[in-house]
Amino acid sequence: MSMRVSRLTLLAFAALLLPMARTAAAQAASRLPGELVWTIGYDPKTFDPAKVDDQESETVRYLTAGVLLRFNRLTQQVEPELAQNWTVSPDGRTLRFTLRPGLEFSDGSSLSARDVVWSLRRVLLPATQAPVADEFLTPARVSVEAVNDRTVVVHLPQRVIGIGKVFDEIAIEPAGRPSEGRVTSGPFFVNDYLRSQYVRLRRNPHFFRKDATGRALPYASGIRLDILENTEQEIRLFLRGDYDLIDSLPPDYFALLAKRSPGSARDLGPSLNTEQMWFNQSPASPLPGWEKAWFRSHAFRVAVSQAIHRDDLARIAYDGHATPAYSFTSPANTVWYDRALTAPHTDVAAAQAALAAAGFRRQGSVLLGPDGHPVRFSILTNTGNAARSKMATLIQQDLAALGMQVTVVTLDFPALIDRLMNTQNYEACLLGLENVDPDPNAMMNLWLSSSPNHQWDPSEKTPATPWEAEIDRLMHLQASTGSDAIRRKAVNRVQQIVANEQPFIYLVYPNLLVAASPRLEGVRPAVLEPHLTWNADSLQLRGAQ
Amino acid sequence: MKERAAAAARWLARTAAVILLVLVGTTALVRFAPGYFSDAREMDARYAAIARAELSAEAAGSRTLGQILGAEIGELLRGSSGVSRQFDVPVWELVEPRLAVSGALLLRGIALAWALAVCASLLSSAGRNPSLLWHVPAAILLAVPAAALATLCLLLNSGGPVLVMALLLAARDFKFLHRALRTAWLDPHILHARAQGIRTRDLLRAHLLPALAPQLSALASLSIVTALSALVPIEVIFNVPGLGELAWNAAINRDLPVLLAVTMIMAVAVTCAGMGSHRSATWRDA
Amino acid sequence: MSLRRGALWVLVGLILTAGAVVARPGASYAHQDREATLAGSSMQHPAGTDDFGRDRLIRVSAALLISLTGSIVGAALTTAAAAGVGTLAAFGPKVVGWSTMLVCDAFLALPWMFLLMMVRSALPFTMSPAHSAAITFLVLAALGWPACARAVYRGAVAQRTSGWMLHARATGLHRTQMIRYLLPNLLSLLLPQFLVSIPAFVIAEANLGALGLGISEPLPSWGGMLFELNNSAMLLETRWVFFPLALLVVVLLALEGTAAEA
Repeated sequence: MSMRVSRLTLLAFAALLLPMARTAAAQAASRLPGELVWTIGYDPKTFDPAKVDDQESETVRYLTAGVLLRFNRLTQQVEPELAQNWTVSPDGRTLRFTLRPGLEFSDGSSLSARDVVWSLRRVLLPATQAPVADEFLTPARVSVEAVNDRTVVVHLPQRVIGIGKVFDEIAIEPAGRPSEGRVTSGPFFVNDYLRSQYVRLRRNPHFFRKDATGRALPYASGIRLDILENTEQEIRLFLRGDYDLIDSLPPDYFALLAKRSPGSARDLGPSLNTEQMWFNQSPASPLPGWEKAWFRSHAFRVAVSQAIHRDDLARIAYDGHATPAYSFTSPANTVWYDRALTAPHTDVAAAQAALAAAGFRRQGSVLLGPDGHPVRFSILTNTGNAARSKMATLIQQDLAALGMQVTVVTLDFPALIDRLMNTQNYEACLLGLENVDPDPNAMMNLWLSSSPNHQWDPSEKTPATPWEAEIDRLMHLQASTGSDAIRRKAVNRVQQIVANEQPFIYLVYPNLLVAASPRLEGVRPAVLEPHLTWNADSLQLRGAQ
Repeated sequence: MKERAAAAARWLARTAAVILLVLVGTTALVRFAPGYFSDAREMDARYAAIARAELSAEAAGSRTLGQILGAEIGELLRGSSGVSRQFDVPVWELVEPRLAVSGALLLRGIALAWALAVCASLLSSAGRNPSLLWHVPAAILLAVPAAALATLCLLLNSGGPVLVMALLLAARDFKFLHRALRTAWLDPHILHARAQGIRTRDLLRAHLLPALAPQLSALASLSIVTALSALVPIEVIFNVPGLGELAWNAAINRDLPVLLAVTMIMAVAVTCAGMGSHRSATWRDA
Repeated sequence: MSLRRGALWVLVGLILTAGAVVARPGASYAHQDREATLAGSSMQHPAGTDDFGRDRLIRVSAALLISLTGSIVGAALTTAAAAGVGTLAAFGPKVVGWSTMLVCDAFLALPWMFLLMMVRSALPFTMSPAHSAAITFLVLAALGWPACARAVYRGAVAQRTSGWMLHARATGLHRTQMIRYLLPNLLSLLLPQFLVSIPAFVIAEANLGALGLGISEPLPSWGGMLFELNNSAMLLETRWVFFPLALLVVVLLALEGTAAEA
């Protein structure tokens, strides 16, 4: 009897304690009326628009900064923003901006040419250490003058390709009062920030832009950017309606979202980004000599490329949400994509023949190099990207068909970069490249042989091969000429050389996957970043007025 | 009184020694782990140049382990906690608001876990045979990774970090408690007392619990240590703004000053856990 | 008694079945049937296939053999280390006990993740998956003992002052002899520690995959399969993702049953 009583007491005790556990999982902060909410991955490093040097600070700057020119992410054209119009002199060295009349900052003070000159000069000043200054090539020799209250003239020492886009990254701030985004001339301003929780932006009531009906933009009363890295949480809160959009959705969650919230997930086709694999060709690497010889062998690289089944990578690793890739420009890059490009496609028999011709031979299931060593190497990739790990596992099996024994190693990003940049102690690497700018000029530091980002053989003193020298010449040519036809020809030639030599073995273009709440109005997804929020001033929730 | 002061002094000396060990160990581990002088932005065309400039400036100022340690200890003695490498703000500003969050999560998790484990083990050990009713859930909880448990919570839209923490700990504590109680119940003098019809409640109070006290205290410190190590995954998965999440971010960004602060707090927590259980054990002996 | 025997038979049966499945001619845990990914149960694949189209039954069986061996050896090592360090500290000179526990406390607070990274960078990338697995379980064993050693120390100190020990000492029993009698008294601490460590190591192995250690592809890892449960999209895809979990629960219960009467 007593035993039964004690059991009941115990159970009652446990039941009483259980409510303690009912504190729900991280709840999003409550939404203010008319506010839009989505997530950013980590704390922005700075709110000072001149000092932005990471992705999430860039996100905040895009939403808050008023700029002279805006690079329209949908039309991919440079459009006047705070400037009413702008002109470039025929030699490309003098730019003249005329401001819109009656511009105001978010605190109601007026915006004049003086503020523009001050903001531009601040960015150009070496003491500011603004990353964007480098895009002027010689920032110290750029001069900025105000001609009158509404006109600003910029003199450049030399022509800069794509100079219009540079002004998309320079925020116009009140002269002498840099405010870290608290006083802006853009659609929103930074209202408050709770570290590792959220950044809250408020609507700028003095923003100049109006919609077609004359209603002042932005529509939304503000934006809350929750700092959240966890995809599971993000998806759950999106499904609950706490978040209004997901700007880039991992492919494995697409089907889940499509099932749980029909119509919200969208596949916009190939993105500008590429996933590629490359072999370490650096002479400074601590790899044994015979391995370096394989990786420098053209036949070896082409054979590997031919052995990879890119269709399977797209179908299995990306659940169908990727497109096989053979070049660094994606079909989404309508201006620069080269349809005439020829590249080695999947052909295992040809790969085997080419290897045999290059002195590799089979011994049972193992491939031996010309030097007699079994061909065994590792593919390095980063932790936390499921699709990449899956691609590596698929490639492992694809290359086993050639007799190559491949191990797959995943490292966290800092350790991986240490290998790529400092020790160069790796054999092959599988990574992606995010292209934020469709213009190949933005890839200068990837293709120039002297660049530390020339991944397969960084910082070459002189080009190691004739084809690398040729790429150097063509990239310099396209960066200096004013003729579009010459640029196009040069860039197409670079694409063809890369396809022939396979320093990067391009695998897939991941598709652009986004999700937007069915309640969100005004969504016009763009292939350029930020895909869903480039027109944040025209987004609003249905029924929120 | 004097004795108490001496004990306090001993405890302080011991904690200081642990902190010093942790300081040296953490610095050596983080500084020489691969990737200390690298930055993800090096791969990004837009920010590569500036990231590289920052790193080379830092590498130029970087010294031997002894010098780094000297600087750290100097800062600590001056009462400053250092400056975070990734956020450029004083470490204490990052740590302080998170202490309470993690503390509350730990306390509630441990309390609930012990309540569940004690109830379950009392019920299961008193029975004639080890009952599957209690062992199957415990085995499932041991076999499921913390992240999967959290995913399940998210899918079911109920429960949170405290529940997951409590369940994980309860399953482990149950394993220990069940066995300890089972041995105790089968003790000849308890069997004898049971045969004489002494009430369970009295048995528990007068015989079982005193006999188990040293084991329970040892188990308590074990459980606190387990809870501390479960803090990181649980906070990361549930996005709880606590110390565990901070430590994780600091680790992947190689933020040495923040890691030092967190490990020192961990060291104090661990020594306190050991201390608490030791107190209760000596109190019983007295 | 019968319970214990039954549990033992379940264990042996599982291991034999897994061995038979893996050793069956033509069985390959690495073969990718890319046309049949995430397939359901069929004659050819009784437990379906995973997201690469690899047979789930063969992979789970191979993983059972690999991970179970690794984690049991690891758990035994770590428990033995804890017992050894804990009793030595309790019965050795006071200075030894004090400093050992000091080191244990410091050990528990250190961020070992970075040591694992160093271990990884000291090993060649082309190391075979089997070697990587063995090293991972050894490293886990080497890092797992301090928490338990502290508990053992507390237990042993309590035993030292207990009645039977005083009695034994009074009758002139030697220290080493006493340790022999002490161990059974600590069993209620060590045995659960051993049993709890096994699933913990299975899971921890998969965690280390993030640092480049662990059982690497194409070898199947039990922990890796349990990690599929982290992904809610995977949970909704196929029920077979719960198969490795169910099997681990059965193994744990069988181990518990085997150790029940000890």
